[in-house]
Amino acid sequence: MKAPEDILRLINFCKTIQRADTDPFDLDVKRFLTILGEYVRRWKSIDDLMLDAEAISELTKVIELQCKWIKDRSASFYIDPALVEFKLKLMEPAQLASAFFKAWHPIVSLDRITPERLKQGLDYWNALLPLSERKSAFGAASTPETGTLKLDDLIALHILSQTEFQEQIQQVLNELEARGRTEYYDFVYGDSFEDSVRKAYLTSYIVSEGKAELDIEPLEEKIFIYPRSRGQSGGSGGEDEEYPGEKRSIPIAISYEDWERWSKRREQGQSGR
Amino acid sequence: MKKAAQLLLFRRHRTPGVKAWELKKALGDDYMEIIEILNSILLKLGMEVRRISEGSDNERFVVVLKDLLTDKASGLRIDDVAILSASLAYIIAKQGKASRKSVEDFLAEKFPRRRVIRALERYIVQGYLREDENLLYIGWRTRVEVDSKTLMDLILTS
Repeated sequence: MKAPEDILRLINFCKTIQRADTDPFDLDVKRFLTILGEYVRRWKSIDDLMLDAEAISELTKVIELQCKWIKDRSASFYIDPALVEFKLKLMEPAQLASAFFKAWHPIVSLDRITPERLKQGLDYWNALLPLSERKSAFGAASTPETGTLKLDDLIALHILSQTEFQEQIQQVLNELEARGRTEYYDFVYGDSFEDSVRKAYLTSYIVSEGKAELDIEPLEEKIFIYPRSRGQSGGSGGEDEEYPGEKRSIPIAISYEDWERWSKRREQGQSGR
Repeated sequence: MKKAAQLLLFRRHRTPGVKAWELKKALGDDYMEIIEILNSILLKLGMEVRRISEGSDNERFVVVLKDLLTDKASGLRIDDVAILSASLAYIIAKQGKASRKSVEDFLAEKFPRRRVIRALERYIVQGYLREDENLLYIGWRTRVEVDSKTLMDLILTS
């Protein structure tokens, strides 16, 4: 006889309960036995009887788990959390406090200052140096000064070299000249956030030096950057001589979240093509 | 005996109780016999000596009131006692541990959240509750001072 589906399913369910440590009472033992009873007269071969024996064996293991479950819950003072929550919500603060006081055996502990302890305190006071002297003995706590590192400082600290820095600025400028007028964020944002920050930093230099111009469109909330032609920005006299007008600082925020959004837009744009 | 009583009844550290080694040092090797005799005297006065085990080499002894016969034995406000009582019952019902947030949310249904947070902090410091990685557990002091079964029976039968 072909193994019945429902018997195999019950055996599997028993194994799942044992393996996954789920509630053993999920298994309806009575129903299990009824199903087995329906098949018992139809069993003919040894395989049928083996399947029946396996089903009974798995059932006994689950019953054993049910027994253990009851023992554990009773031994660990199990109370249904939902019932306790419900009761606590119904109780007034005075009732809760009253229940606590009836179950409470407070520690008896007294605080008293003894004459000996008073003498110890006085001796300590007498031996203690004034605060001003103790401060000088330990040295005043130093607080680090905050400041801004300029390019010259970075060069002096050998973090950057002047040549290397100028080369990097030239690379950014070359790229801008190749791309022409472009949206600022499309220009500075790149494959990684670190590179984007570095490029924004270098871009700020080419704008400050008058080699590039920013075009802010407030209604569209967009910033465009474009290179100034060599004739406009050229010359060795520096920006102050070339562009004597009013200087403005334009803060442009760069954040990781914004860079992430930009990257996703770019990916979608590429996949949409 | 007088020395043992004073050691146990007067506070010597921030945490109440006397360590086993302190009793041994002050009373000698047979300090347990002295404690047992003292306990029999204290029982007549409604108090008893309890041993708190915090690991194999870390035992403390405290004296607790066995039967609380007075109406008031602390200066705590009734709201604060209610918060402690509800917190303990909630944690006990959750098999001894509950997330701090779930306890706060539960208590905040009846008490202002700021008051709840302040009270929980105080009970953690006092040892009634223990916090570990945003989970609240029953503290050492609750295990010594509170009869959990009585508390739960009273709450469930209220």
